[in-house]
Amino acid sequence: MENQGERSIRWIATAFGVSIVASLGLAVVYLLGGQPQAEGALLGAALGGISVGLVLWAKHLMPGGPEVQEREIRPEVAEAQAEVEETLQAGAEPIERRTFLAKMLGAAFAAFGIALLFPIRSLGGAPGRALFRTAWRPGSRVVRADGSPVRPEELAVDGILTVFPETHTEAADSQTLLIHLPEDVQPPGPPGWVPEGFVAFSKICTHAGCPVGLYEAESKKLFCPCHQSVFDVVDGAKPTEGPATRPLPQLPLSIDDSGFLVAQGDFEEPVGPGFWNRGRDD
Amino acid sequence: MIKRLTQWIDDRLGASSFAKQALNKVFPDHWSFLLGELALYCFLILVLTGVFLSFFFDPSVSESVYRGEYEPLNGVHVSNAYKSVLDLSFEVRAGLVMRQMHHWAALIFIAAMFVHMLRIFFTGAFRRPREINWLIGLTLLILGLLNGFSGYSLPDDLLSGTGLRIAYSVVLSIPVIGTWMAFLVFGGEFPAEQIIERLFVVHIFIVPVAIAGLMTAHLAIVWRQKHTQFPGPGRTEGNVVGEKLWPTYMTKSMALFFGVSAVVAILGGLVQINPVWLYGPFRAEQIPSPAQPDWYLGWLEGALRLFPPWEIRAFGFELPNPFYPAILLPGITFNLLYLWPFLEAKLTGDREPHHLLERARDHPVRTALGIAGLAFYLVLFAAASNDLLSKWLKIPVESITNAYRVLLLVFPPVAGLITYRLMDALRRTGAEGLMHLPLSALTRRTQE
Amino acid sequence: MRRAVFGYLLVSVLLAGCAYFGDQTAPYRAPGVVEVDTVTDGKTLYMRDCAWCHGNEGQGTENGPSLTTGTNGPAMTDFVLSTGRMPINHPDQRVQRHASIYTPRDIEAIIDYMETFEAPGPDIPSVDPARGDIGEGAELYQDNCAACHASTGIGGALSVGGSPEQATAVAPPLNSSTPQEVAEAMLVGPGTMPVFGPETFTEHEVNSILAYVEYLRDPNNRGGLPMGRIGPWSEGAAAWILGLGPLMLLIVWIGRKV
Repeated sequence: MENQGERSIRWIATAFGVSIVASLGLAVVYLLGGQPQAEGALLGAALGGISVGLVLWAKHLMPGGPEVQEREIRPEVAEAQAEVEETLQAGAEPIERRTFLAKMLGAAFAAFGIALLFPIRSLGGAPGRALFRTAWRPGSRVVRADGSPVRPEELAVDGILTVFPETHTEAADSQTLLIHLPEDVQPPGPPGWVPEGFVAFSKICTHAGCPVGLYEAESKKLFCPCHQSVFDVVDGAKPTEGPATRPLPQLPLSIDDSGFLVAQGDFEEPVGPGFWNRGRDD
Repeated sequence: MIKRLTQWIDDRLGASSFAKQALNKVFPDHWSFLLGELALYCFLILVLTGVFLSFFFDPSVSESVYRGEYEPLNGVHVSNAYKSVLDLSFEVRAGLVMRQMHHWAALIFIAAMFVHMLRIFFTGAFRRPREINWLIGLTLLILGLLNGFSGYSLPDDLLSGTGLRIAYSVVLSIPVIGTWMAFLVFGGEFPAEQIIERLFVVHIFIVPVAIAGLMTAHLAIVWRQKHTQFPGPGRTEGNVVGEKLWPTYMTKSMALFFGVSAVVAILGGLVQINPVWLYGPFRAEQIPSPAQPDWYLGWLEGALRLFPPWEIRAFGFELPNPFYPAILLPGITFNLLYLWPFLEAKLTGDREPHHLLERARDHPVRTALGIAGLAFYLVLFAAASNDLLSKWLKIPVESITNAYRVLLLVFPPVAGLITYRLMDALRRTGAEGLMHLPLSALTRRTQE
Repeated sequence: MRRAVFGYLLVSVLLAGCAYFGDQTAPYRAPGVVEVDTVTDGKTLYMRDCAWCHGNEGQGTENGPSLTTGTNGPAMTDFVLSTGRMPINHPDQRVQRHASIYTPRDIEAIIDYMETFEAPGPDIPSVDPARGDIGEGAELYQDNCAACHASTGIGGALSVGGSPEQATAVAPPLNSSTPQEVAEAMLVGPGTMPVFGPETFTEHEVNSILAYVEYLRDPNNRGGLPMGRIGPWSEGAAAWILGLGPLMLLIVWIGRKV
């Protein structure tokens, strides 16, 4: 038994010793400029040494039990409960008698509660029509994220480009994917929306709003990497797979006199994910 | 020394009788009673590392051109939040280890709470008189999820920004108040500038304070009610068998704290987590891939991926698709969990106080339902990485999604039924464990 | 002697093809045959390895597309041959990266021969990542490439696309691609990839992207083990297995009687 204890002491001392050495090492590493892997390993050793030492100490050199403790079965239950009830009732009596005052107090609390809600309004603007409109206007030039306008000859067939309305490159809701379709593809959407094979769809997924950034040129499909909705560009970006329920809204395009791509107007329906009154644009 | 200290304190606080009681308090020694403590110590590490991080993090989203240690992003426009995380990772000595420890501790924190909850559930430890602590514990889990997500979003990188965008869309999908709520929470249409600063306050103040308060209550109630214990020789409804707080249990508990810290430190130093420098700063028109959330939101992400393209529309109003998997599902989930102790009491008619735990077999229906539920969320969780699986197996992602949809409907009932049969057989045969179960016991059902 | 070998090979090709594919279309050659050969004449190679599907003059057949239209040309040919995507052993086979069966001289010879098709596609670009600006490259990469090839260049899943048999289903990882191959892919948009031509990116921008792609082959892993750089998936697995796992063992040890 004594021998066992001696051995435990040696192990515990070793564990604490490892910890001490690791802590000193940690200080050295830090002073030398730090290195994440060395820091983590040494910190782990410093803490782990203490942990192992303490476990061994508790298990081998401390009273292990089993100890038994009685669970009090709450002897005062009935009596005490009755007393509390009595006290509560006695105190409530003068309040209950003044029903009118109690009601007024209730009303005052309610009114104040409502008044308290108003500062919440300061947290953000009213949704208004913001969700129904983007920054695209009739004649808006199609520009890249850096603000440079796009000419048709600047995008190869089967090429894609993320574009914004001119002077609104910060408008996240207006991000649009410009795709140059080959000539042999029937242009989607109403006639006249796809000049020279240039078609544009809102880049915001109609499911949960992720940018639909993956264009599969061979099959002319757009793929959302967040929840795997697939939109068929040739079929007006209707969803074919995944959780999305609505097509990506299409932006009517044309080419202006100076040869730049421009929008004929805003998207005809709200872009992005659904919300309860999306269909009530009035 | 001890004598003088005891006298000094008792002289001023009169705490001796409480202290005596406390030091002699008996704690059960089964390992599963340490799961909650695991979570507690993770939280402590989160606070310690989090305080360090908060000295260096800047929640502002105003932009500047990055010129720092991390060369590949030189000249890129980044927000101050993102920049401060890069600086913390590349320039502050020990900064990256602290940051990674914080993130690892968060992942383990929630995992530990979850396993703790499973232990409580499957042993019936939530029964009277411990319903309140079940409610508090569940609230702690939800707050943990909330704080995990808000912290994950702070670096303003492309991956977490995408998570925020999805969260925004989910809020937007709530009927009638959704649009207002989204605008109030985010400060306007996504990506509004206020959200990072708001999440910072939520992450380092509001939720941690709530967690700390509820944890204190949680522990105080355990203290007051005393622990449950597994049945065994000498163990009754009227006693607790185990080790005294002083010195054995306290030493072990301290050892656990250092052990948790050690594991978190080793992970924090040796295993890279959330390398935001590779994801790049958030840009509204960019999308990272693969885009997964941290593990504890995987079930919601999976639900969003699996839910079919359905939604309800009428008279120009609609209940959009993300509402069902991302609002309704967690709503039902957490409400069911909150109500469970009361539902079970009502259904079984058992309203007696219990201090002895049940084994899983003692209550085959509960165990089977629990396993079926777990199976359901496990499939959802797995579905959150359908794109990765598709890449590894070279199977189209649509096929994988469809397979998961079938699995989601089939696996839980099957798992539940099998569990029921196994638990029932265990109960009847009294076999020690599943391995000791005679085959014949599986083929017969209870004759009652 | 040489002709005899060739004839023997041809017969065995046909026989093997019939045996291997049963009643399916016979392939133009059996797998692996060309590896033992050392022909360097472009026309011979083309006729032997490409013509069966793409036609004697690159006009295309029912087995394979025309090589005289679209973005076909030297850059495309160099890309598919040097990444081993072509030739494939069967028209239905998945087109994906393999070790190239040709030497650079073979490829040059085939390209030279195919010049006679007068395909409209771009020429082989000359690239130099060292002249690019890696910061600019990072931004352009995140903007244009990360959605498919992943933020960390490890590749990613795609949709079914066309018919399931033809599906690429993945955007390939970029960590084994040379800058030359990446630049060619950008120019021609192989398979389902969109085209990112000279209209879209200047030479400097291309070099910047290449510099960043080069960087992604071995990026800064200051945090430790990168675990595949697939993001929260492997982090979650590690949290359970390497984090909670040892801690469970620890509490079991603490809880055990001595």
